[in-house]
Order: sequence, then C-alpha cells, then structure tokens
Amino acid sequence: MKKVSIIGAGNVGANAAFYIGEKNFADVMMIDSVEGRAKGKALDLMEAAPARVYEAKIDGSDNIEDIAGSEVVVITAGHVRKPHMSRLDLLESNAKLIDPIIGQIKKYTPDAIIINITEPVDALTWYILKKGSFDPKKVIGMTGVLDTTRLREFISKELQVSTANTTAIVIGGHHDYMVIIPRYATVEGIPITQLLPKEKIDALIKRTREAGSEILSYLKTATAHYAPAAAIAEIVEAIVKDSKRVLCVSTCLLDEYDIKDLCLGVPVIIGAKGVEKVIKLLLTLEEKQQFDESVAVIRSAVETLEL
Amino acid sequence: MKKVSIIGGGNVGSSTALYLAEKRIADIHLIDVIEGLAEGKALDAEEAAPIRHYDIELRGSTDFSNLKDSDVVVITAGIARQPGMSRDDLLNTNARIIKSVSEKTAYYTPNAIIIMVTNPLDVMTYLALKVTGFALKRVIGMAGILDSIRFRYFVAQKLGIAINDTTAMVLGGHGDSMVPLPRYSTVAGIPITELLSSDEIDQIIERTRKGGAEIVGYLKTGSAYYAPAASVAEMVECIIRDKRRIRPCSTYLRGEYGINGIFVGVPVMLGKNGVEQIIELELIPEEKEALHKSASDVKTVIEALENQNII
Repeated sequence: MKKVSIIGAGNVGANAAFYIGEKNFADVMMIDSVEGRAKGKALDLMEAAPARVYEAKIDGSDNIEDIAGSEVVVITAGHVRKPHMSRLDLLESNAKLIDPIIGQIKKYTPDAIIINITEPVDALTWYILKKGSFDPKKVIGMTGVLDTTRLREFISKELQVSTANTTAIVIGGHHDYMVIIPRYATVEGIPITQLLPKEKIDALIKRTREAGSEILSYLKTATAHYAPAAAIAEIVEAIVKDSKRVLCVSTCLLDEYDIKDLCLGVPVIIGAKGVEKVIKLLLTLEEKQQFDESVAVIRSAVETLEL
Repeated sequence: MKKVSIIGGGNVGSSTALYLAEKRIADIHLIDVIEGLAEGKALDAEEAAPIRHYDIELRGSTDFSNLKDSDVVVITAGIARQPGMSRDDLLNTNARIIKSVSEKTAYYTPNAIIIMVTNPLDVMTYLALKVTGFALKRVIGMAGILDSIRFRYFVAQKLGIAINDTTAMVLGGHGDSMVPLPRYSTVAGIPITELLSSDEIDQIIERTRKGGAEIVGYLKTGSAYYAPAASVAEMVECIIRDKRRIRPCSTYLRGEYGINGIFVGVPVMLGKNGVEQIIELELIPEEKEALHKSASDVKTVIEALENQNII
C-alpha cells in the first residue's frame, strides 16, 4: 500500500484522511505539531475501520520524521481566515509557518509529490516549489478541483440533474480571482450556455466565487472542510492510482498560456508523476483578459515573498 | 426493494442482471423461454452472493406471469447478430418475438417502464410502444449510451487520460447511421475538437460506428454483451434511483429536432418516470442532416414491417 502523509490534522487534514480511508487506496500518516491531535484522530478513525471495512492504515504522529517514505505529502498546515479577512492577508504569516515544513519534506521524503492547500494557495505553492527547489511537476496547489466541485453541485441543483453528469473548468487564481468559463461547464458535454440563461449562469459563478465565504459565514469559527478534503482526496487518488485524471489545479507554468514561472490554476493531466501535462485551452480575448487580471494579482503577491 | 425483470437470459440479459446485483439496485427476475436457462443462471449468480455481498433477490423462470409488479422490464429477447449479418437482417424474426413479449409485458405489469435492447433497436422500441400502448416516456431504447461509452473509451485511450473524465454524445439511430457529435464530446468539459485532430476524431467515429462489428469479428459466434449490459444497467439505475442523468437514448419524438412519430437517439433526462425530458441540442445544418438521414433509415424499416402487417 502506498503512503500518503498529511501535515496538519485539523478539519481538512482529518477529513482528507477519512475520505482516503473510505476508498482504501493508501495508508495515511497524519502529522500535527499539537501533541496527541493527529494520534487521537487517527485512532478514532481506525476504530471505525471494522465497521467501514478499511484495509488501509491511518496513523498519527507529532514527529515530522514520520513522513519518510511518502509518495504524496499534503500540506494543510497554516492559519485560516476569520470572517472579513482576505486570503492574501494570510500570505506572510503562513509563508513563515510552512517554511520549516518545506525543509523537512526535502530532508525526509525528497521524492514525494506535494499537494499544498495552505492559503493563499497559488502564491504559497510557488513559494514551496522555489524554496525547496523541487521538480515543478511534483508541486501541486489544490484550487480548481474544489472550485469545480462546488460549481458542479450548483449546476446540478439548478438544472435538477445528477452531479455525476456535470463537468466544469475553473482556471486562474483560487477563489476571488478564479476564472470560470461557462462554455466549458457542461451537462453530459452540453455547455450550460445552451441550458441556462445568462443571469442564472452569472449567479452560479458568483456563488462559486464566494462559496468559501458562504460556508465561513455559517460556521463562523471554522472554514469549509468537507469539500476541500474531498478535493484533496481526488488529487491524491489520481496520483496513487496513476489514473491520468484531467483536473484543474495550481501548477507552475513554464511558458504555457504565455506565463513564465508562476503557479496558477489550469487543467492538467494528473498521474503517478504528478502534473504530467498542462492542457492548453483556446481562450477568447475576454477570457484571456480575465485570466491576465488573475495572473497580475498572484504575481504581485509572489513578489512580496522573500526566498 | 424495487423490481426489475429481464426478458431474455442470454449474455446481455444475464450480464445486466449481474451488474444490477453488484450495485444492489433492485430485485431481479430473469425470464427465458428455454427451460432451465434463466433459473440456472440466476441460481449461479445467487450462489456468488455470499462473497459479493448482494442483498437483493435474483430469480429466474420461464413463466411470464413473474413479470408482475415490475418497475422496469428490460427486453433483450431475440436472436443475436451473426458475423456478416446486418442488424436489419434480424428484423423479421425479432419483430415477432418482440411483439409477443410486449403483449405479455402489457398484460402482467401494465405500469412498468420498458427498456428495449433488441435490434434493430429504434424499430423494436417503436413496435413495443405500439403493442403495449404505454405512455411515450415509459418506452425507451438502449442505443446512444452504448455508442457513447465506446466512443469515450476510444477517446480516453487515444489521449491517455482517465475514462471518467470523458463525455460523449452520439445521436441518431443505433447502427451504421449513428451521429456522433465531437463538439459535444468532451474531456472534463473541453470539447475533443480542441484536443484531437480531425483525422484522429474521424478514426474514433469510424471505430465507434463499427464497434459492435469489431467485437463480433473477434467472438465469431456471438456479439458484444458486457458494454451493452453495462449500458442497460446504467439506464435501469437512473430510473430506479431517480438519478435524472442526461443520456442519449432512443425516445419517441413529436416534433423535436424536426422529427415526428418515430424513435431516434437523442439526449434525454432519465428519472423515475422514464424519459423526464427531451433535451434539444443546437445543431449545425450538417449535424441536423445526418440526424434526419438516420431517422429516415428507421422509418424505412418500420414501413417494411407495416407492409408485412407485423406492426
């Protein structure tokens, strides 16, 4: 069984372990610096295993050395937003917080594929890549998978069709800067532009863009964790099973989309080697313009980071 | 538990039963006129239940009165296509069989939804509708799903990507006149026209069109049954679990796409009432023409049956 380590045993980390356990495709090691937290959640999950028929092992530790031998390392550590905070407000403090983790991954499991979800995702994914001098294929930011799963849910509710029937592509930066292209959002291949009026589509896009804040406004003291954890599990599964899934993630562009050396959301093929191919979409002028605006925001955030 | 009856205990019928059992979708009754065939297969599959963990009932018989209280009746009865035989050659023999089993379905389980599998599909579905007098949305033909899953498999193979990320839309009659629509066939929503060259797409279309014949060519004495059964199981699941999935199926058109009074494959929403909605795609003139050509092929066969007083 392959090994996946999850750094940070908060709600997102523990739920990602839970989804991976339910699908039985990898052993999980959860790490948290708070003593007992990862161990306790892992033990609780394993005590459910007899009833849920897991074969995979889930373990927890407060010692980061236990990430050794991982195929995939998920970084969920970091501060989360309070209401009325922007994700970019977290940049400096979270960069400081994950700084030692980057060195530890490099030391204990240098060949692992890294999935970052610490906010702001695009900027910090770039930071991890640069700071650790990793292979760009092996550093992935979890962004569009979450945005698309939310959009697909909203489309299926609006049209009263099965969620399994829907597809969506979200590119650019995460959240506020995401670029949703309605003609690539389909129900069984039929673009939603043929199925819904423009006002409805605009409302779905707006709701998707603000979906994280919508959950935060309900929960008040916590951010969304089920859908983000499901999105992590989806990427991990594609890597571990080498399934060549076409997913939207933040990856370092090396000239694709005329962008150099910046992590941004685009559709890619994900397999055992990480990002195996960047899929180049044919964007209209208007879409390209939106994408460029998103690029500018991430670019200026990245420029404030010291390597 | 809901009940699904499958008429015809051949490879398609019994594989459908197996797929439904594996997903625990409904209790299943398999019926075949050959003494012992349905009973034997059902018993064999039931004996696998302890390790496959089905908790549904799977039975077989020769007795059509067991159709009683079915939510869905799948009709796979008929003789299979032999190598070199066109689908239309099967016409007369299968038309008589379908007429008879449709009468029995209407008699024993008048509220069921019928899924037709027997070829020539669009014609047999029409025959079942006429014989049973069921509501239009309760008589559906399995065609486009099979063509589209074959298409999806070929696209995924060509691009080296996960099958689950593909979608495909194949309209028209089931058979040589099917109408695959590449611009409505996608990888995660990206039309394949952006990812493959037109030559590559043409090859995939051609292979899909001949997908059934390719399998017959290998098997020699039989035709495909896993992919067809998987397609039927998907339709049954959509209906029993009210999934409201949009799938290309053969449905009776009354003016949609400018076609009237026959069954042709178009995207429909499948739910607990059968065809919940017919989706009208925006077609370019070339696509529309191919669809109409396909529809006129179906009409020709129906007329042939009418001339022989089978319909």
